[in-house]
Amino acid sequence: MRTNRRQRHGVLAVLATTALLVAACGGAGDEGGSQGGQAGQPGNTAGFDGTTIKLGVLSPLSGPTAVIGQPLTNGNKVWFDHINSQGGIAGKYKVELVQEDTQYKPDITVQRYNKIKNDVVAFTQVLGTAPTLAVKPLLESDKMIAAPASLDAFWVREPNLLPVGAPYQIQAINAMDHYLSEGGGSTDSKICTMVQDDVYGEAGQQGIDFAAKEQGFTVANTQKFKVNTENYAGQIGALAGAGCEMVFLTATPSDAGKIWGTAAQAKFMPQWYAQSPSWVGALAKSAVAPYMKQYVKIVAEGTEWGDESVPGMKDMIDRVKQYAPQQEPDYYFAFGYNQGRAMTALLEKAVERGDLSREGLLAASEELGVVSFDGLTDDYTYGPADKRNPPRSSTVFTVAPDKPFGLVVSKYNFTSDAAKKFEFTKADG
Amino acid sequence: MGAHRNLTRSYADELRLFGTPAAKVGLGLLVAVFLLLPTVVHDDFWLSVLIYVGITAVGAIGLNLLTGYCGQISLGHAFFIGSGAYVAAQVGGALELPLPVWLLGAALAGAVLGGLVGPFTLRLRGHYLAIVTLGLVFIGEHLWRNLTPITGGNSGTAVQASPAIGPVDFDGLTLLGESYSRNQGWFWLVWGLVAIVALLAKNLVRTRPGRALQAVRDRDQAAEVIGVRAGRYKIGAFMLSSAIASAAGALFGSYQQFVSPDEWNLLLSIQYIAIVIVGGLGTIFGSVLGAVFVGALPALIDRYSDAIPGVRTSVGGDGFISVFALNQALFGVLIVLFLVLEPRGLAGIWLRVKTYFKTWPFSY
Repeated sequence: MRTNRRQRHGVLAVLATTALLVAACGGAGDEGGSQGGQAGQPGNTAGFDGTTIKLGVLSPLSGPTAVIGQPLTNGNKVWFDHINSQGGIAGKYKVELVQEDTQYKPDITVQRYNKIKNDVVAFTQVLGTAPTLAVKPLLESDKMIAAPASLDAFWVREPNLLPVGAPYQIQAINAMDHYLSEGGGSTDSKICTMVQDDVYGEAGQQGIDFAAKEQGFTVANTQKFKVNTENYAGQIGALAGAGCEMVFLTATPSDAGKIWGTAAQAKFMPQWYAQSPSWVGALAKSAVAPYMKQYVKIVAEGTEWGDESVPGMKDMIDRVKQYAPQQEPDYYFAFGYNQGRAMTALLEKAVERGDLSREGLLAASEELGVVSFDGLTDDYTYGPADKRNPPRSSTVFTVAPDKPFGLVVSKYNFTSDAAKKFEFTKADG
Repeated sequence: MGAHRNLTRSYADELRLFGTPAAKVGLGLLVAVFLLLPTVVHDDFWLSVLIYVGITAVGAIGLNLLTGYCGQISLGHAFFIGSGAYVAAQVGGALELPLPVWLLGAALAGAVLGGLVGPFTLRLRGHYLAIVTLGLVFIGEHLWRNLTPITGGNSGTAVQASPAIGPVDFDGLTLLGESYSRNQGWFWLVWGLVAIVALLAKNLVRTRPGRALQAVRDRDQAAEVIGVRAGRYKIGAFMLSSAIASAAGALFGSYQQFVSPDEWNLLLSIQYIAIVIVGGLGTIFGSVLGAVFVGALPALIDRYSDAIPGVRTSVGGDGFISVFALNQALFGVLIVLFLVLEPRGLAGIWLRVKTYFKTWPFSY
């Protein structure tokens, strides 16, 4: 027995040493940097082979959030299809998207990020707040740039992120301004909020609280709810009991539909203002449409689908007809399309500097100035993260079931004084 | 009295970990694979899949001790995994203490929490216990969303627990002048821990307390009659299982560097139950097999989905089923098939293959 054991240990020790010796030759070297490029002619680097630029997309293409991920990714695709038809970035480099399904889960997002990070120059979409926060430490250690598909305010100050659009807080502040100036409200009105119990809900609430300080009203009642709850009678009852004349709603479409249905049944008829992600075109075809038409306003950006008077919209509709004729009118599609435009501006700048490597893109983002979105969302002032200034304007829509996407512009592209004062800070940690 | 290839001559032989020559060779091979794999597979994607699988395997061993060996059904596993991640965020991140401290600290916190829940098992069993532990997940979700100083509330929190033991930092290993990537280092760390936890669990179940656990599982009143303190073992099993789950959670948090309350939901608990069922209830090896199977299969399908006809891989692509839907469907089918055809799980298949060769040429 004794000798046996000693022999066995000896064998194991030999095995382990050989393994270690062999292992010693298997270190992962650094990923190669860019080989010398010159202005207008960047050298080859990870994700760029001299002719094609590859961009990553991390989006929920399946599961419950796919209703957002699919059109948004399609928006990315249509924009780059258009760019490719013009010859590509700087007229000569075609763009190819590498799509990965995150299922809207942080851990899957990290895996997918690892899977394609060495095949792309940047990520033109990472959808969702939690998935974006999950890859943020990796972006920082890899010196990678990603464009988040979420309107959270703390993306503004992150050097590794390239956000577009006016954040949720700005939407909420502008909605309050609209209600107090044109929506029949005054600072004595009973103003309430109903927000979902997560980061997105907190963003909306933060905007309303800021507006309350700036514009001098008080929030009479706040109701929170869990995503995908079945029954909202309790919250609606509490809001009705508090005598709310105006309710600001931060929700996603499936909850928003049920909430308004419950309110209609309970004969609770305040003026609702809701954040852009609360709306989806299908709501306009539901039985609650007459109630929504009368009492609901949606605060978002840009203009209604198919509005020919805004040049950016006219171009977008033409390109949808050409590259994605199946695409239904959709708010998220336009968001993805705008992301493509911001990423294109960044790539053009990087090509001009002659460096498409990760460091090159970071340096290019520091030098990026104002990017215009042709009226689909307001201009965004990029540049060093601490100096960036996102759009501060919103558009208020009313529900109109006969319109494409079910919304009609009530007030286009306005900025309130309170929204101009809002300060953006970094995400914690 | 040494062990014999196919004859058991004493009780001690029955209990040997690696009794036969074949088992020793197998162990050697496993050690070699463990040491060499990261040096051969440099791909961050596969390494990170395997790291998540290893972390899941640790958690699954914990659940298998509770459910497979002691017969206590728990739907609350996600709660303990989550609490471990937050302990790592506080002890390893905010206090900047080294790996052994935050890992053991998480295990200790898990044991304490498990000890608080444990007494419920004295009065409840079966479905009743399942529903009580289901409550844990929802209580946990409320806590994680509202204990903002610890968990960061809804926005989640960064976990900056450094995986370093003294001078050895698994985030950037340098051995004999060769530098290794973060994922390579983490692979060794996580699978090394899987080996340690598996060995501890195996040693526990082949000794007196392990036999007591199994007696409690099979018929707890009879166990009481022959002198097993059923209550003590039930609570003990709960504490041990939660401690291991918390350690897995701490590893998960430290590897992912960010966690949010959305991750510790009922689905995670159910996934763990699926893993121990598919792997094999009441086996340590099965927990690891199940984790590999449940964790790596979706990744495999995902990687080679473009080769499968009729699968849609991108928005606007053709095909009638998306990769995710295919994965979900396969997962469901597998659970059904295992329960119906192979109740002992993957470990059962392995045992049968082994027996076939052992008794050859008289196999049946």
